[in-house]
Amino acid sequence: MNNLLTNNNLEFYFFGITKVFFVLFAVLYFIFALIVVKQVTSMSRSVSDKFNVVLVIFSFIHLAFSVLLILIMLGL
Amino acid sequence: MTRSKDLDIIAPDDLSAEVSTKVDEVVQSPKKKNIVKTKTIPEKPPIVDDFNQKIHEILGHTKHPFSSFLIHPKILKFTEQDDHEIIYLAVRPHWITNISWFLISIAMLFVPLFFKYFTFLNVFPIQYRFSLVLFWYLITFIFAFEKFLTWYFDLFLVTNERVVDIDFNNLLNKHFAEADISVIQDVSFSIKGILGTFFNFGTVLIQTASEKNQIIFDNVANPQKIMRLLKELRDLEEHQGENL
Repeated sequence: MNNLLTNNNLEFYFFGITKVFFVLFAVLYFIFALIVVKQVTSMSRSVSDKFNVVLVIFSFIHLAFSVLLILIMLGL
Repeated sequence: MTRSKDLDIIAPDDLSAEVSTKVDEVVQSPKKKNIVKTKTIPEKPPIVDDFNQKIHEILGHTKHPFSSFLIHPKILKFTEQDDHEIIYLAVRPHWITNISWFLISIAMLFVPLFFKYFTFLNVFPIQYRFSLVLFWYLITFIFAFEKFLTWYFDLFLVTNERVVDIDFNNLLNKHFAEADISVIQDVSFSIKGILGTFFNFGTVLIQTASEKNQIIFDNVANPQKIMRLLKELRDLEEHQGENL
């Protein structure tokens, strides 16, 4: 029991749990980014204007960054 | 080189020179009917011309895609638009209404500079802090982006047939309301506060005879012009109704 509560083990558990939370948040954020892409595409279809393409591109860039976030969180 | 004047043996490139003077002859000649196509441009009734002139006088001229007051936007289309429907005016909330979220976004950009003062963050290794900063910037971006989209797609349209209100709230809710010009009973507007008076924006209230008896446009630029335009459209509608 004492071995389990050494400083190294506590640190390991703490950062392990933190990492799980970070990854969980990143996955949730990715889902949110997907919804944003879907909604921006839907908005652009609903009201079409010449600037809409740029908005859709921005939403995809945001999605790409959310994927990057997951990868970084997994690599911690 | 002398060009032939005989229409039966005329070369195709002779036509361009001949057409301006010999149009009547060409049309009368049965052989040339297939070659020469005369475009007929339908004449607009004078009342429509007058009306367009009136619109121009009332609204003026703006074409910038980010403008909150778009006159005759040729590229803007909406899914519920009919084939013959012409958008006279597309209005978004006045740009000054964006100032609060814009300033908040700018402030959010600088927040990571203060992370070093949060001592509990020093417990985490550098990779954790980096991912936290990245996450923060994504949150900042999406906050600003969502606010911009809400503004950009919050449209009030005046067409030759109806008024349309399109709203997207928080990316997830779409609201669409419309009222035919013929059912508009009363239009009023109000300008409130220092900003509204200074930047000339306010609320336009349209009372209709339809089931949804009110359409409200908040924070729209130049509410007087919108009211005048709607009045002109109603007059035109009544005038056309009388002529029928």
